[in-house]
Amino acid sequence: MNESMLCTKTHEYLLELSENTYEVGITDYAIEQLGDIVFIELPEVGSEFVKNEVFATIESVKAASEIYMPVGGRVIAVNDKVANSPELMNDETNEEKWLVKIESAADQVEFADLLDYSDYKEEIE
Amino acid sequence: MTKRTFLHDNHVKLGAKMVDFAGWEMPVQYTSIIEEHKTVREAVGLFDVSHMGEVIYKGKDVLKFLNKVLPQRIEKLTDGKAVYCQLPNKQGGLIDDLIVYKLEENKYLIVHNASRIDEDVNWLSLNIGDLDVEIINESHNYSMIAVQGPKACEFMNAMGVQELPKFFSIAKGQLFGTELWISRTGYTGEDGVELVIKNKFVSKIWDKLLEEGKKMSYPVKPIGLGARDTLRLEAALHLYGNDLDETTTPIEAGLSWSVPKDKDEDYNGKSVIMDQIKNGVSKKLIGLKMIDRGIPRHGYEVFYNGEKIGTVTSGGISPTSGNNIAMAYIKNLDNLTVGSTIQVLIREKYYNAEIVKRPFVEKRNKTNI
Repeated sequence: MNESMLCTKTHEYLLELSENTYEVGITDYAIEQLGDIVFIELPEVGSEFVKNEVFATIESVKAASEIYMPVGGRVIAVNDKVANSPELMNDETNEEKWLVKIESAADQVEFADLLDYSDYKEEIE
Repeated sequence: MTKRTFLHDNHVKLGAKMVDFAGWEMPVQYTSIIEEHKTVREAVGLFDVSHMGEVIYKGKDVLKFLNKVLPQRIEKLTDGKAVYCQLPNKQGGLIDDLIVYKLEENKYLIVHNASRIDEDVNWLSLNIGDLDVEIINESHNYSMIAVQGPKACEFMNAMGVQELPKFFSIAKGQLFGTELWISRTGYTGEDGVELVIKNKFVSKIWDKLLEEGKKMSYPVKPIGLGARDTLRLEAALHLYGNDLDETTTPIEAGLSWSVPKDKDEDYNGKSVIMDQIKNGVSKKLIGLKMIDRGIPRHGYEVFYNGEKIGTVTSGGISPTSGNNIAMAYIKNLDNLTVGSTIQVLIREKYYNAEIVKRPFVEKRNKTNI
């Protein structure tokens, strides 16, 4: 995992790619907890979400889990590869496990409850 | 207050992810549910099913008693034979589903679902009346390992058990020098056995089976409850609490094949059950396969022509076929049969599904009809 990513307590991560552009996904810990991932539903490019809104669903063999936006923003890209082949999420050699890329003008208030990666690691231990 | 089986430490050592199931701390998976599922479909899987209840029923009136509480014709069982049964209440709803084994004259073993043991024993005790029957709950004395898969019997032979009982039969046997009961039953749709073992011996037998399993030319692996659920769903075997409960009769549940039409004795729920056999049911259990991309899950609603007609009771992916499948109770409408298209409501959207025959995969154990 990238040390500069920010995480939510619900196990999403947010990684800054360039100014106001971010990658959003779920943490390795979340993937491990889910087990075999068999279905991923991603939003359409262009859709907009507010902070904490459900933007995707990931299903393991056992259950469906909703995935929440760490900060508000507009979707500019989705990872069709994992949507079409969900098992890639469990493939350790696959480094492209992000779900969506967003454009966001979120202010500090929206970032306030996100955890540094080191704090997140403490949280899950 | 969750209970642990005598294999708890073995599971932890194997790196299992443990979860609470019916008041028991059980392994849900060791590596991956899909991998474990495939192991059982292709080779041999070992399951800890020690949470299941083993209860002995004996006494000179025990046959009369069992015939009074079960729809099946228990007098047909010869020594060592077993039959799949339901335990109906007075309205024909199911308190549990069971496997009844005749051990010897006037002595039967019943295997109960873990979550229902106390309920069942209470209910059955109330039904004794003035009959000479003794109920001895042995659940806390026995553990159970299921050995399942197309190579399961070959594996048992390799472990020195040459004579295996026939399908739906039980026999005393020996494994690694320990006396146990071997039952040719399971909950996967595959051939295999279930071993009923005194608690103190189970840990060694489990370890030895896995250790010896490594020497085989095919995989012999521990399997968690996650794959147990996908395996039984593909085989369209009912899960009590999901697909069966006190509001569903054996006929509504699609278990007519197991209910004799020619039983003379009266039993709890008989009038309702017989009436449904004769006049039909208002709801029925069906199998469905998703046409659209979406996974049907327990509790999801089922629609036809915009009208709600039922609810999914068990659903998920079928690792064998890759299809998304489910069992659901729906209104028994004449025009809904195998091949009909219905809809499942998933996250507020309607997804098409087709009614299909059950089981969803071909069963490879021998039929007990």
